This record gives sequence, C-alpha cells and structure tokens, in this order.
Amino acid sequence: MPEMIVKPATLKELWKILPALPPARRYLAGGTDIVVACNGGCESSECWMDISDIPELKTIKETASSLFLGAAVKISDLERSAAVRKWCPALIAAIPYYASPSLRNMATLGGNAGNGSPCADGVCALVAEGASVLLELKGKKRRLPLKDLFLGPKKTALKKDELILGFEVPKRARLGAYQKLSARPYFCISKAAVAVTLEISGGVIKRAGIALGSVAPVPLYAAKTAAWLAGKKLSAVTAAAAAGIVKAEAAPITDARSEADYRREMCGVLLERALVSLVPLAGR
Amino acid sequence: MKTGIIETKKGFFEITVAINGEKKELSVKNDESLLDALRRHGWKGTKKGCDTGDCGSCAVLLNGRPVLGCLAPAVTAHEGEITTIEGLGSVRAPHPLQVAFVEAGAVQCGFCIPGMILSSKHLLDRTPNPTEAEIRKALDGNLCRCTGYVKQVEAVKAAAQKLRGKGKRARA
Repeated sequence: MPEMIVKPATLKELWKILPALPPARRYLAGGTDIVVACNGGCESSECWMDISDIPELKTIKETASSLFLGAAVKISDLERSAAVRKWCPALIAAIPYYASPSLRNMATLGGNAGNGSPCADGVCALVAEGASVLLELKGKKRRLPLKDLFLGPKKTALKKDELILGFEVPKRARLGAYQKLSARPYFCISKAAVAVTLEISGGVIKRAGIALGSVAPVPLYAAKTAAWLAGKKLSAVTAAAAAGIVKAEAAPITDARSEADYRREMCGVLLERALVSLVPLAGR
Repeated sequence: MKTGIIETKKGFFEITVAINGEKKELSVKNDESLLDALRRHGWKGTKKGCDTGDCGSCAVLLNGRPVLGCLAPAVTAHEGEITTIEGLGSVRAPHPLQVAFVEAGAVQCGFCIPGMILSSKHLLDRTPNPTEAEIRKALDGNLCRCTGYVKQVEAVKAAAQKLRGKGKRARA
C-alpha cells in the first residue's frame, strides 16, 4: 500500500490539498480493486486520496427528472434505497450478481466505473439505465454519457485527478433485467453479461437500453439492438430476433474466463432470456 | 493521514477504534490491512485466507456490517466500530451462533468459521427468521473447503430459532 493515505473531509478540502500531494496519486473509494491491484504489484502510487467519506459523494438525491447516485455510496446502500429500487430496475437486478455481500458493503459505483473494467456488473447495468457520469476537477465540473467514459480495458476518459462525483439516471418508468453467465452462478466475474431496460407503452417498446459486459474492451452500449427494439411489440419472437442482432454488436476476446465465439453466442442467449423475463411484466 | 489521525513515527499512525465495544488506540502501519493490524494486535480470531477478497475468512463487522479486513487499509477504519469473532462470545460463554455451529457439526477445520459466523450474525440482526435462500445469500462469499455448506445452513437456522426464543422471553 502507498506511503501516504490522505482523507479530505470535503471536496473543497480535496482540491485545496491536492497540489501538495505526491504526483503519483490515486483515489481510494471502497478499496476492493485498488488494494488487490496493489497487493498484486500492479498499483504503486505513493499516495491514495480516500474519498469514501466526502458528503457530496455519499448522497442519493432525487430531482424532478433524474436520480443522482453519489460515487461513494456503497452498493449495499443502493440496494436498500427505495428511490434506486424504483428508478434503476436493471441495477437492482444486477446487485445479487455483484461480488459478495461483504464486498457490496465496501464497493462503490464510482470505484467500479473509475476502475474501467469491461466486466463491472454495476457499470454495465448503469449504462443500460442511460446514466450520465458527473466529473469534477479542481472545481470544474463536466458531464458525459456513462457509456463514453470507457476507452478500453482499464482505460477511461478521466483526466489526471479528475474525480467521479456520481451518476445521473433519468427518472423514466421502465422495466429492467440483468442476466449474467459465469463459472458459478454468484460471486464470480462474468464470461458474458447483459443488462436491459425497456420503456413500454401498450405492450410496445418505446425505448430500450442494452449494455453488454465482458464481451468488448469496454462495458458496451448495444446501440443498434436498442434502436431496433424501439417500436417493436415485446414478445418471445421479438426477443429471438434481437438476440440475432446483438451477437453482431459484441466484440469479445478469448481469455482465461471464456472463448470469443462462445461469448458472442451467449450475448444472444442472455439478451433473449432478459427480454423474455420482462414479457409477463409488460402488461402491468 | 489527515483528519484526526496522528502520525507517531514514520509510517505509523494512531487510529481510534472501538473493538468489540471497547475503545482502543491502535498503532497501525500505513501499508497494513485492517486484517493484519487486528492480528498483530492480538485479535487472531480473524483469519487470513486468500488476502485477495475471495474467501471471506477475514470478515469482520465494521459499523455493524461485514467487510473484508484484507481489502480495507487499516487507517480507513479510524473512528469505526469493529466486531471480531472474539466480540461475539468466548469458550465459556459462546454466542448462540457459535453453539449452533458446533452442535450442527458445521465446523471441520474451522478456518472459515469466524467469517461465516459474523456474516450470519449480520443476517440474523436484520432477518430473525431467514429462509434457506436468505441464509445462502448471506453466506455467499464465505468459502468453506471442508464441508458442502449444508451444516452451516442448518446451524444458522437453529441459531435463528434459539435467538427468536430468547427475544420472546426477553420481551415477556
């Protein structure tokens, strides 16, 4: 672990102390990725900035049109939030597959996104929810569609010292599902994962959000499949057709966890399962 | 480390924590995990299994919730409340969960048991009458290489029943 861990109490204090800190520095949120990387010799910053208690990052806030999820909110607190349960159906569906209960008491969505892994269950679900990410660097804020934060495996659009403040999820009534395939059903990194949200009116899909995990260099927003689904009636037939389309969008590789061809095939299977699981809910 | 932690000598910090209800000032190293710090200071009930967040044997309750000691830098526990397995009961006065684990034959080598029991405690604190699915979900992330998890699930059920009975008597 680093020579130094600093723990600013507020954002203001963070930006104030930042210039004096050693240049090799990183943010520490839940520690579930960075500590493992450090123990494995892949992380050797001199300084970690512990942002886990900064109040601005720990809130879940509703506005008229969106829900703000602070970057440092623990996954287990998201699971318990009535607002998250109401407005983030795909994220809620993903949480049981998100590591283990004790890790969910430590891990955060901000850390999950900042880590930039294409396997991150929470991030994949948030991309399907159509979330934006709010960033700040020395008082200067900017906003990106979350899907555009990721540039490659462990590569993000974050500038040096830029901090993830949180995520904004649009407050639109929708259904959500999460399907994951891994060596064990739970507590395992995925071979492939699919997150889906659907806005439905009269049995017809008005808008779809689809994100694929572990089958591309980034948590992949399946734009073509989502666009194709808009205007279609939600049915088993639609689900099967969408499965064919999504396979062309995935860009998987073969690695220790699975093979490229299998992953591509499974994207179709998982999307079909996810859509079919929502058919009985569509009429309600 | 800022905000109330004093650096005593290079690389060492004083943190204030409540461990099993007792306020303690611990000297911890800057590069030490909470797990290593606890063990170095004598709380050896907390076990070091994988040291990568996979096995759950280092689970302790931090502010009432199970977390993995191996992934928490010790300094981040400053001003926290920690419960280790020693805080639940002793050989002479074991916690109902500890009794139930022994009676059900859920303990073989025993290495995973502190983590298992603390995860179970967190479950029973919130869910006094859990279903088997809820027990299995709560113990997800506590790996046991001796058993097939059947006995642990039985133990948690038995402990839940016992604790519910106790609660009734206490209320009566």
